Amino acid sequence: MKINLNSSAVPTRENRLGSVTGYVGDLHNLIEQSGCGSLRNSERCFSQSSTCLSGCAVGLLSSIRDVAVVWHAPAGCHSFTNVLGDQLAKNINATFDTKVVGTDLSEDDTVFGALESARSLVCKAYNQYRPKAIFVASSCVTGVIGEDIDSIVADLSAELGIPVVSVHCEGFKSRIWASGFDIADHAVLQTIVKPPKEKRRVVNFKNFFESERAQITELFARLDVTPQFLYSNSTVEELSHLSESLCTVCICGTLGTYLGNGLEELYGVPYVRTINPMGMAGFEAWLREIGKYVDREEEVEKIIAEDRAKYLPEIMKIKEEIQGHSAVIGMGPGYTYEVARVCQELGIDVVWAAAWHLDHQYDNGKIPPALEYLNETSPNNMGISVADQQNFEIVNILHEYKPDLYFSRHPGSTVWAIKQGITAVFVADEYMIFGYKGTLNFARTVRDSLRNRSFEKNLAARVKLPYTDWWYRQKNNAMFVN
Amino acid sequence: MGKLRQIAIYGKGGIGKSTTTQNLTAGLATELGKEILVVGCDPKADSTRLLLGGLHQKTVLDTVRDNRQGITLENLVKTGFSGIRCVESGGPEPGVGCAGRGIITSIDMLENLGAYTDDLDYVFYDVLGDVVCGGFAMPIREGKAKEIYIVASGEMMALYAANNISRGVAKYASRGDVRLGGIICNSRNVDHELDLLRAFAKALGTRLIYFVPRNNVVQHAEIHRQTVIQYRPESGQAEEYRRLAREIDDNDMFVVPTPISQDELENLLLDYGMMELDDDYRI
Repeated sequence: MKINLNSSAVPTRENRLGSVTGYVGDLHNLIEQSGCGSLRNSERCFSQSSTCLSGCAVGLLSSIRDVAVVWHAPAGCHSFTNVLGDQLAKNINATFDTKVVGTDLSEDDTVFGALESARSLVCKAYNQYRPKAIFVASSCVTGVIGEDIDSIVADLSAELGIPVVSVHCEGFKSRIWASGFDIADHAVLQTIVKPPKEKRRVVNFKNFFESERAQITELFARLDVTPQFLYSNSTVEELSHLSESLCTVCICGTLGTYLGNGLEELYGVPYVRTINPMGMAGFEAWLREIGKYVDREEEVEKIIAEDRAKYLPEIMKIKEEIQGHSAVIGMGPGYTYEVARVCQELGIDVVWAAAWHLDHQYDNGKIPPALEYLNETSPNNMGISVADQQNFEIVNILHEYKPDLYFSRHPGSTVWAIKQGITAVFVADEYMIFGYKGTLNFARTVRDSLRNRSFEKNLAARVKLPYTDWWYRQKNNAMFVN
Repeated sequence: MGKLRQIAIYGKGGIGKSTTTQNLTAGLATELGKEILVVGCDPKADSTRLLLGGLHQKTVLDTVRDNRQGITLENLVKTGFSGIRCVESGGPEPGVGCAGRGIITSIDMLENLGAYTDDLDYVFYDVLGDVVCGGFAMPIREGKAKEIYIVASGEMMALYAANNISRGVAKYASRGDVRLGGIICNSRNVDHELDLLRAFAKALGTRLIYFVPRNNVVQHAEIHRQTVIQYRPESGQAEEYRRLAREIDDNDMFVVPTPISQDELENLLLDYGMMELDDDYRI
């Protein structure tokens, strides 16, 4: 893909990558269709849920510590504002100065336009908070009425002497909320990242909430490199140097594809495209690849050997207890196929994997590594679906397969499995299965969940679900139009 | 008074919708004594200039913007020639905001304020250009205007626009009681114009309700900020508008239009000599 920094708007994942939100089939079929270009999105005649991509775009940008976001939007859009920044900054003894302010668009503004409101709010935000950069985010309303945000950011950048960046995150543009990640990355690549002056022993580390910041910093210190976490707890100054790092990694393929590929394409910073560091094979492949880029391959082998010695015996012991159990997975596509692989490493039989959308290729034009790896190594041709959190489809799948376990990363999804009497593990933290240590913790959680199922049994016995027998008799894709 | 008739006038930009609407309503008021409200749905706010003898000074949207709390009908409705009540929706400057949303806001506001009083015989909506978006379709949605008249001429683009507008009418007719009342020709003296318009109207399943001939007195009246009926009531053109008014008042043919395809429209134009098959152009 050619990243076009001259355009302020990023093509959506549907347009750029051919990503889909509706598919039902199996692993081999999915790979075949992806490879030959015949994969087509299936539309639904009924949709139970979705979310707005602006939450992903503004959420990422507003987690930077020293910026302002001026959201040119009706007040309701601000319900997507990220509120964790302050708490995360406390973890590293830093201050969080970022503010999100909005133009509170009204009926009158919609009719007459409100570009001057946006302009004056940018100035006010600058005078009051002195941010290091200001992102001016759009909304559905400004998109429909054609507010020319680009025209004010150029003027204001020159006037205020800081980057003022337009962020075109109209929610109606894409059904795939992860398009919002790309929009945030584009804004950062366009105006915050500067061309490199020198190489630095830094690894760009894109993630969400950096719960394992300490562990990763320690791990990377053994490779003589410093992780530059982003966007949470990063600063504009730090981000301006992303082009000088030795490589870029991301905890989630969905989250990282645009920035990782962009930095590689624009500045030659290699993007680590292995399977992710979840589970044992993932951790080893990922760390070895980093080892190459930071020139510490011997140290990487030492770390892997130490971790194997320390954690593998107990992981194998727990594996004996949990193997053979069946599982259904429902997560974002950056995790679905990774967690499926880890489950298989632990001997769990993954019968169905649902992803909230599917990028059958990333921005380098290649199939996501985790999907490819799963296709090559999976002992069974598991069922696969793509459902943008269509819970009624997940409920149907769970009813059909009656697995021993359900794994999900999104709150609200696991509870429906539990109400059906199925043990559910909430893979909430992005680092829950990170490395050998995480794999052991994950295995323990699975074991403990399987050992005591009284909660699921008791709840299921007392809950009447809203779905009728008719729905359970249907195929889970019964609401597909074609 | 009889039942309130709500009428929307559509047509290609520049075809003469406002001129026709104002002369038509002047005819209805002077000849038939009708009580009329004209709602201008054009951001330029010039749809009632001839009735008011100048531009309306306060549009609905201006008023909404300036003083949301204390808006009254008296602020918005001005009485013009022959007691015709006039309202202008208004809207943003060219190139900013959303004029379509403005029309929705404005018509909702007029309804909430009770502008459609029991003593009215007619409400006319004079709508800008083509039905470019949902906002400009507002008068034909949600049971507002029930009768649509399309102003057209024998020029090709006017007929394209008229056909597109009838698509919009057909769409809303399927779930409401809006109907096409007919085509009004505002003549441009194009060859075979009368026959072409009759054939076109027939193809749409409607009829040419009136053929308004071209006459310079219309321009003279406009320069004087008056309708022809006020400026030269004795003129032949004034009589044409009075006849148009009677035709509209007597009209009882309301149809769901049957828009035609591009090919059909072009064939129609060919049949009536608008397009020459054999021209002299050679490479």
